[in-house]
Amino acid sequence: MRKLISALCVLSSLSFGSMIGMEALGEEQVMGGTASAAGRGFAGNAKTGDAEGLSVVNPARLAFDTKVVFNLNFLLEMDAASNHGSNYIANNISMPSFNLSFPMGDFGAMGVSLWQHYASSMDEEYENEKASQTAQIVYQGSVYEIVPSYAIRLPFFRSMSLGGSAHFVMGNTSRSLKLDGNTDDLDEGDVWGAGEYTLTDYVEGTWEIKDHPAYYTMALQYRGRMVSYFFSFTTGYTLSNDLEYDFRFSEMDTLANNVYTREIDIPAMLATGINYRLNKRHNIMLDLQWRAWDKDVENLGGSWNMAKVTETQSDFMMSLGYQCDGSPLFYDPYWKRINYRVGAWYKNWYVKDVFEAGGSIGGGFPLGRKGTTLDVALQGGMRFADVDSEWDETFFAIRIGLTGIGNWGQSRR
Amino acid sequence: MNFINTAVNICKFQTFYIYIRNFTELNSEFRVKKRKSILLGGLLAGLALVLTSCLFESDENGVDSWLSDHGMPSSYKVQVVNVEGIKVSSVEAFLDTTAKAADSRAVFGAYSNLRHDMVLDFGFSPASSFYKNFTDSDSAGAFLQLFWDRGLYTSKEYPKDSLPISEDVNVTFSWKLDNLSNKKALDSLIEISDANWRKSLEWEDVASADTTISISVSAKDTSIRLPFPSALVDSLKLINKGAIHLQLRLSAPEAKHVFRFLGDNTYYPPLLTVYSDSSDIYADTSKFVAPTPFRMAGVAKSLEDCSECAVLHGGVYDSLVVELPPEPILKALSDFYGDEFPYTEGNGNDVRQSVLFAQLAMARDDSKGNNELGLPIQVVVGSFVDSANTTVRRMENYRIDNATILEKGHQNLVFHDGDSLTFQLTYGLKDFVNKASDGRGVRFIMRLGYPFLQEMDTTYATHLTKDGDTSYVFLSHFDYARYDFSSSLEQPVSLKLWLASKRGDEE
Repeated sequence: MRKLISALCVLSSLSFGSMIGMEALGEEQVMGGTASAAGRGFAGNAKTGDAEGLSVVNPARLAFDTKVVFNLNFLLEMDAASNHGSNYIANNISMPSFNLSFPMGDFGAMGVSLWQHYASSMDEEYENEKASQTAQIVYQGSVYEIVPSYAIRLPFFRSMSLGGSAHFVMGNTSRSLKLDGNTDDLDEGDVWGAGEYTLTDYVEGTWEIKDHPAYYTMALQYRGRMVSYFFSFTTGYTLSNDLEYDFRFSEMDTLANNVYTREIDIPAMLATGINYRLNKRHNIMLDLQWRAWDKDVENLGGSWNMAKVTETQSDFMMSLGYQCDGSPLFYDPYWKRINYRVGAWYKNWYVKDVFEAGGSIGGGFPLGRKGTTLDVALQGGMRFADVDSEWDETFFAIRIGLTGIGNWGQSRR
Repeated sequence: MNFINTAVNICKFQTFYIYIRNFTELNSEFRVKKRKSILLGGLLAGLALVLTSCLFESDENGVDSWLSDHGMPSSYKVQVVNVEGIKVSSVEAFLDTTAKAADSRAVFGAYSNLRHDMVLDFGFSPASSFYKNFTDSDSAGAFLQLFWDRGLYTSKEYPKDSLPISEDVNVTFSWKLDNLSNKKALDSLIEISDANWRKSLEWEDVASADTTISISVSAKDTSIRLPFPSALVDSLKLINKGAIHLQLRLSAPEAKHVFRFLGDNTYYPPLLTVYSDSSDIYADTSKFVAPTPFRMAGVAKSLEDCSECAVLHGGVYDSLVVELPPEPILKALSDFYGDEFPYTEGNGNDVRQSVLFAQLAMARDDSKGNNELGLPIQVVVGSFVDSANTTVRRMENYRIDNATILEKGHQNLVFHDGDSLTFQLTYGLKDFVNKASDGRGVRFIMRLGYPFLQEMDTTYATHLTKDGDTSYVFLSHFDYARYDFSSSLEQPVSLKLWLASKRGDEE
């Protein structure tokens, strides 16, 4: 267990890949970034089953689960940004979420998720004009959420369930820009006074929600024989980022910090989705989610020639997916027991004029008789940026999810 | 670049695979078969990453151009801001008259409106045979032998034409004499710490006697003898048993020099000789005692008329605390950057720029000072800066300006060519610009340091010359100088700041 925890710490300290919106919140990891949802193009929040697990968008779904599900997700992502013939490639490994859900029969179901909702990560050294000197930029930011959830099927209307979750936000962010001096503007006789310092423009801070312990999601789910759908509402909230700015000579020799809090108003989110069961095991699903951003996001560091704010737009995501459920019978041929998934999505980022389109294929490979599954999803797509400061990105990602399914607390029938 | 990315991918994948494997090992449910499927999945993933990294190519300056598109700098720009015509807002002089230990060097005399007294603490326990000889004798006497500080008087830096010094000095002996019952009581004197003893040296109503002594020092002299006045010898004669505790103070307020001797913790400590037979002092051990002091102190007393004048003395820790008003500096910064100063966002600490280096220049008139040795004297400065929510005094570093030093010499000297004094206040200005929102000014102290020996030398360190001689930066003896900065500080001073700024290029 200790090995596992240390492995998780190592992985979660690395983060994911896009370079868009680094000064704002970073890249958003939708729907907990689970490998199973990613395999079908991030659709399928309406899909119910006996071990579908926790959904941070639709907590109500949990009520229909009958098995304990533990789920751990990894993401390997590579982004290639390009603009005017220049390319820049970054790779990352991260652990976007792990989830645990625990059905309690007539008492409903509980679950908890640890979710890296937003992240920004970069560490590059580069040469300056003089070539003999180098500069270094490091971004390291994560907005984590701990999401306890509860869902219960309604009395009398047993095909409907209500669910709610609270999102407790934490995490930290930092930007470190290490620079050498440029004395070109000085008179020759004044150069001696400049010294040869390497200065670091450094800012770091922590995340929390302003004035509230958490923000909340409420959801209603309907499960029919063929059609299931859900509707969820997530409250808006203000993220408060307490920042300490510095301009330092070394970690020991610093200026007195400027302490400043930036506030980011995150709008309420509406989400809905439908799952249609074509045949016994064939599912088609469509999910939508929408947030109307009305305020720009104040940037982390600003200064130099960087923009002070990141402009926003209404963020919107539509995803379409297909899943062929594998056979639950362990004596069936292995290929029949695999879940096959395919999907595609289109997404407006919260960053103005940034759009993303992607597709994915995936599979859920059962391991053993007791329902342990390895989910794998391969994804690829493009992010288009119509603003000068952001570059277009092509991304490719592999997501791997380990899911353990158990029958704890369930009596044999 | 492409190759590196591929290698990185492979490494990352391998690390990841190890975690997967560890995870699977922990789960006893897994069988070899499942491991195969994990391996297969992992291989697929790794292969896919390797292939894709081959497809994309990060070009040489891809990062640079990405960063410049985002307005990120590749270096910080250093700019110079001059602030002229700053009127000093306050000057406070702190005259240092605390008693100092004189273990290695001891002085008495007077110079530059300061009187320097020497205090010696003797404790000795003569044999009863001595008491008998001493109290009965008509030719009994005592003298104090002081050894010249030859390290200075014979040093090649000491002005040759200053020696010999010959002066008839009226020396006042004051003393406290105690007869202790026994040697044990004498030993208990040591329990009074030196620091506490030095605090007790403000004597009132003690026995004293004046005597005129002809003092002469030449390069060949090693010591002088100061005969005790008869009143002190008579007092000593009243003691005929037990131990003697004598605290002796020498002062010469009318002297024209400060005479420098070796202290008690040297090879040649002062020697008190009390004898019973003046014709043959050291004839017999029962006829004299010759103790050395077990501690010594120097006490300075100001003879200045004006206690508020901006006067500094050398050889003591006098200091001037000078304050510059914030307004002209903030206005100059505001004019230069076009931003508001002081900064008030957040908690008001200004980190938009940082002072890399700062110099303050003021007018200088050496006719307002006098010194003994004729050497330039360095002005030492320190700034009052914040540290862990309290204010501390931080002595400033000294950065070498090669071009100016080779041309005109070090600029932080008085008694030196030129009419200006320039010193460095980097810590002070860095703190001030950072924290100006609380309305503070720039506060710093000035002191006279050691005489300076290498006016035109840029090494600023003791070093060996080509001829194999040792070249010292400072003379390691203070000059008992005096310098009146009043007129310099009445005139406006100027500041020159080297700043690194986080601001971008002007549009």
